[in-house]
Amino acid sequence: MMGISFIKRLVAITLLAVLVMVAAGCGEEEKGPFRIGVMESVTGAGETYGTVAVQAKQLAVDEINEAGGINGRLLELVVEDSKCNAQDAITAYNKLTDVDEVKIILGTSCSGAMLGAAPLAEREGVVMFSGLATNPDIAEAGDYIFRTSLSDATVGVDTGNVLWADGIRNLATINESTDYAEGVRRTTTAQFEKLGGQIVAAESYPTDTTDFRTQLSKLLNATPDAVHVASQAEASGGTILKQLRELGYDGPIYADVVPIGTTALEIAGDAATGVKAITPDLDPANAKAQEVLAAFKEKYDYVTLPWFLGSAYDNIYITAECLKKTGDDQDADGFRDCLYDITWSGTIGDNYSFDEKGEVVGLANAVLEVLPVAERTEENGGYRVLGAAPSN
Amino acid sequence: MSIASAPIRGLQEVARDPRSWWRRSKGSVELWANLIVLGWALVFMLWRGGGFAVTVGSVFAIWAVLAVSLNLVVGYTGLLSVGHIGFFGIGAYAMAVLTSSASYEQLRTEAIPTFGWPFFAALPISVVLAGLVALVVGIAFNRFRDDIYVLVSFGFAVIAFTTFLSWRNLTRGAFGIHQVARPAIGPVVFDGELEFLALLLVFLGLVVLISWLIVTSSFGRVLTAIREDEEAIEVFGYRTTHYKLAIWVISAMMAGLAGALLASWSTFIDPNSFVLLESVLLVSIVILGGLASIWGSLLGALAFVMLEEGMRFVPFLPSEFIGQIRQVILGILLVLLMLFRPQGLVGRFKL
Repeated sequence: MMGISFIKRLVAITLLAVLVMVAAGCGEEEKGPFRIGVMESVTGAGETYGTVAVQAKQLAVDEINEAGGINGRLLELVVEDSKCNAQDAITAYNKLTDVDEVKIILGTSCSGAMLGAAPLAEREGVVMFSGLATNPDIAEAGDYIFRTSLSDATVGVDTGNVLWADGIRNLATINESTDYAEGVRRTTTAQFEKLGGQIVAAESYPTDTTDFRTQLSKLLNATPDAVHVASQAEASGGTILKQLRELGYDGPIYADVVPIGTTALEIAGDAATGVKAITPDLDPANAKAQEVLAAFKEKYDYVTLPWFLGSAYDNIYITAECLKKTGDDQDADGFRDCLYDITWSGTIGDNYSFDEKGEVVGLANAVLEVLPVAERTEENGGYRVLGAAPSN
Repeated sequence: MSIASAPIRGLQEVARDPRSWWRRSKGSVELWANLIVLGWALVFMLWRGGGFAVTVGSVFAIWAVLAVSLNLVVGYTGLLSVGHIGFFGIGAYAMAVLTSSASYEQLRTEAIPTFGWPFFAALPISVVLAGLVALVVGIAFNRFRDDIYVLVSFGFAVIAFTTFLSWRNLTRGAFGIHQVARPAIGPVVFDGELEFLALLLVFLGLVVLISWLIVTSSFGRVLTAIREDEEAIEVFGYRTTHYKLAIWVISAMMAGLAGALLASWSTFIDPNSFVLLESVLLVSIVILGGLASIWGSLLGALAFVMLEEGMRFVPFLPSEFIGQIRQVILGILLVLLMLFRPQGLVGRFKL
């Protein structure tokens, strides 16, 4: 007898729980907060980027809410993990759109995840707005897909120009086999060859490689004028710089942003001194940028990837501006039109806007040079800005 | 043992004498495992609404096909393989390459040939290709047993992943392949998520049926005998290498099918979905559900997917840590399960 009554009780409790949840769902106020989805790779390969992006966005949201919100309504983020791969991005996307019913999603930090969810967003008319994804394919992903991050194609073109301007004619390249690093290498070599340069050796390595001496020796045997390094993980980027110098190479090294990240510089030590990186960077003269970095440092007690941090931060303020205009977080079309029209001055630059592909225009890459170990501080990130990359 | 007999026998018992059945089964871990997982899935569906449940259902169906197919090799035949993800990837890439219709030339990245085949033409090719690769690999693998088998299958998974990543003029490497075709029968395109789920469930049913026929046949009994004592069954005149090769190829073809379905479901694939870690997860699903039990693999896949997706709704987590904490909880739960119930939720055989 006891067993049956127990089942009854179980069923009753379950039903009650479901009812309570349904009732709670119905009782929501009409003038609640604006709800925006956030999809970042907070675990998996893109963990560093994803975490910084979420934290920067949360920082901006807290600031906005403390200042009274948007038209008196608060801004609320619903964060989901897209794990840096397409399948998990699709489940995260469906969770955000079906369960949380958001129409505007900020993210993602991994291009693979972005490309996985973008076809769905495009079909269902949901805005996806990223501050970090850099794969060139995203430009063609659709009408509802936007980003403030610069396509790898622009980084590559600028790198090719810098190489040529510096008098490099024979180049050796090494890159990690990921969409990002591979994309940088391809566009770099394409631009460099177009200008008349020659690629004398090229190597690529899978993620998690720790010893590059064999591959680097092959590069150096081709006696290049310079070596270009494109990596996705800071550990491998730093190790390559270190081992290049250990092998006795003393020529110039060019890189994307990753091999001059904080972790990479720690690994490379003095080997990194003088390495030039072509990447978007925060303008030291931009007061707003310094303010944001300081606020981030105070809240989370560390700073990394400052440009991407600023980009994610700006995304929230652009979103807030557009919500102020549309007044409705369910109005994806209005939000999209607002993004097409907007011209923004924020952390990552002044007067930037979006073209008809949802690509950001008005931002430029900078050329950075790594300082000697003694001059590296937390404030300068270990490098100085030489200036904007030359355009041709 | 088999998928259908246990639940059906159970139901008959309940109908005959519910009270005594309840008294006997009250302490059964198996019953509670079933009730909790199925109950949680049901509550989740009601709680979170149909739309997301369809997504979760699709993820479940793909994992379930994989888990059932791997159980044939790991559970029934006793060959612990962590290379299954390779066949999954081969199926996915075959489907993607054959059906993708994206025009890569206008993008500034790698261009690959496009064929634009329909889904149902590419599906058999994906399955057969996975089977062919398994045949070649299996002939070599048959020389190994036990621990060494784990290592060589590990090697296969790594080789497969590296191939997807490095064969750039076929797979586009890390860029991935876009616009994989959705299935269409005549004018009816399975574009909606619900239709696709229905199709996935049909294929899952097919895989379960074939697996059930295999394990209940005399062929299946030889497989179980190989697991228990390979030398003994050889003495009786059975060519165990042939049996092992046969089940290996069949299982790989099912994994290829799962891969093809995944590629079409997500319409975009890149090598990140076929890393070794996914293979390890897959083995843990099979062990979690129960070795040598088809129902166990279904339950294991459901439990895993519900755990993963259910964890999205754990409250009180600061948004910055949500992903990491979820992984920690998942890991702890798996460790606890292995400590206190090493045969898995409904399994009878320990590894």
